[in-house]
Amino acid sequence: MTLSITDVTKRYKIRVTRAQVNALNGVTIDLPAKKTLGIVGESGCGKSTLARMIVGLEQPSSGTVTWNGEPIFDKARNMLSSKHSNIQLVFQDPYSSLNPRQKIGDSIAEVLTVHHLVEKDAVQARIAELLTEVGISPELAHRYPHQLSGGQRQRVSIARALASQPDLLVLDEPVSALDVSVRAEVMNLLIDLRERLGLTYIFISHDLSMIRHISDQIAVMYLGKIVESGPWDSVLENPQHPYTKALIAAMPDHTEVGNNAYEAPLKGEVPDPASMPTGCAFHLRCPIAVPSCSTNAQTLREIEPNHQIACQEVK
Amino acid sequence: MSKPLIEISNLTVSTTDDNRTLVNDVSFSIAPGEAVGVVGESGSGKTLTALSLLGLLPRGVHATSGSITYGGKDLLTADRETLRSIRGNEIAMIYQDPMTALNPVMKLGAQLIEVIQSHGGDTSNAMERVLTAFSEVGIPDPKRAYESYPHEFSGGMRQRVMIAMALILSPQLLIADEPTTALDVTIQQQILALVMQERRKRNMSMLWITHDLGVVANLVDRVIVMYAGRIVEVGSVKEVFTNPQHPYTAGLLASLPKASDKNRTRLLSIPGIPPKPWTVGESCAFSPRCSKADQQCRSSLPVLATNTHTDAACFHLMGDNS
Repeated sequence: MTLSITDVTKRYKIRVTRAQVNALNGVTIDLPAKKTLGIVGESGCGKSTLARMIVGLEQPSSGTVTWNGEPIFDKARNMLSSKHSNIQLVFQDPYSSLNPRQKIGDSIAEVLTVHHLVEKDAVQARIAELLTEVGISPELAHRYPHQLSGGQRQRVSIARALASQPDLLVLDEPVSALDVSVRAEVMNLLIDLRERLGLTYIFISHDLSMIRHISDQIAVMYLGKIVESGPWDSVLENPQHPYTKALIAAMPDHTEVGNNAYEAPLKGEVPDPASMPTGCAFHLRCPIAVPSCSTNAQTLREIEPNHQIACQEVK
Repeated sequence: MSKPLIEISNLTVSTTDDNRTLVNDVSFSIAPGEAVGVVGESGSGKTLTALSLLGLLPRGVHATSGSITYGGKDLLTADRETLRSIRGNEIAMIYQDPMTALNPVMKLGAQLIEVIQSHGGDTSNAMERVLTAFSEVGIPDPKRAYESYPHEFSGGMRQRVMIAMALILSPQLLIADEPTTALDVTIQQQILALVMQERRKRNMSMLWITHDLGVVANLVDRVIVMYAGRIVEVGSVKEVFTNPQHPYTAGLLASLPKASDKNRTRLLSIPGIPPKPWTVGESCAFSPRCSKADQQCRSSLPVLATNTHTDAACFHLMGDNS
């Protein structure tokens, strides 16, 4: 089983200005089963569009996204008739993804019954099993989301995603909205579930420290393109693309204390995806750009086994 | 130590209808030119403490006791006029979301002029001052910004405008409530660098509120850790981060992934969630989650006391862990 994303682009038209936005621009990813791919990038880099595409909520403008060789988008169109959905999405804010007027047990029951996943008389037992799986006492099934803590609500969203026994979970900023002291336990839960259930993860975050903690492979995105990808340790310990280097330098680090030096590694801001720079999209902010970077589009090339970058200036 | 710029003593903030305590007996001071960070999770009382300094507590919440001494006056009992002359001129604040501080239907230049006017500043060269303020915070085309509306700017640029607005009257103290939380990391880094540079240039004091330990680690001189409405630990940033004495501070630091940890060891988590401050009573609020807690912690309130590394409110300090 693998997730294959091949040369995927996604274009949106802005209705008023008729401008075209390239949210994704030739993205290729191959992820073997039971591995975790961390996708990191800033706003507008296309990471959430990619997440929605992997679960079948968006159709690629060109290119293909397949799971086990089957195109995901077609599959999603028939989702209601298929018995399970192999791919599930967990959102950043469990408060907005759970129905506030539905008891948490009922919101899991809904998934089980809509997809006819278990017999009617087995629903309650399965709810208890799923809640236990994520470390929540089944007695809390009668609570409403607002009666739970942020960490518990995120556990419920994970339980709900697990209800259809997926193989692949797309986790879009799953701990970013949580308080610092509960992030660790949700991260630990995700790692435990991955081992126990043999899950494949796409872990999307702007927080490089969480990406570093959980990923086998990392893809760094900038304006709809992957600029660097590879095994987690080569990407983070031997970063080659100037954008990856800047992201790592910009990560607030609590282990480096009191040197009172903040230097902005990058000038300027992420350009508007509707008026994409020519050539390498990063050249306007790049510390090592040369004139030809404004005309040469960059493609990924391998610099060491499985470690790729899209930059002509790195030798 | 020199005379503090501002001194907060035994500040307690409660809800007006049902008298629930949200901030409990908080005392600290900020020296001239000093940067102090307040770290805490949601509901720890960090934002309410900051808002008290400006007399800006939201409706339904008020300071029930304590004092905030600034320039010989108690800001908690000061009249509206006094507070108004202090806000902006002496103490300014920047927020997480610039749109809460900027008027969406008013040009940016006019908004800064208004700040100068309404605080009785010299308006003869106001436009020039605004343009200088814009260029100081790194806005690329100050003239264009002057004629622009907030929505024409990105989040990072709006944050720069808000900083220009806060600094234009040269305050003695800048209060920052998570101003970089909503920004991308490379933009956050730019804003932190800017604040750092302006603080040094003006020798301004700063109170920086955040939940992000990584942000304050290199930004402030001293750190205050709040938990359930109380200060649980205070100390120099170096001591608090390398020799935390309160088990809560130690637990928070241990729960963060470390960039130097090649083996990616399992994160240590703190079980449970913070209690509501008003439900704690005469006990250590952290005791239900603390592995060191005993009968004493559950039946009496630890007070902030000086130890070899920091000041911590705990009966069972972490000791030397280095």
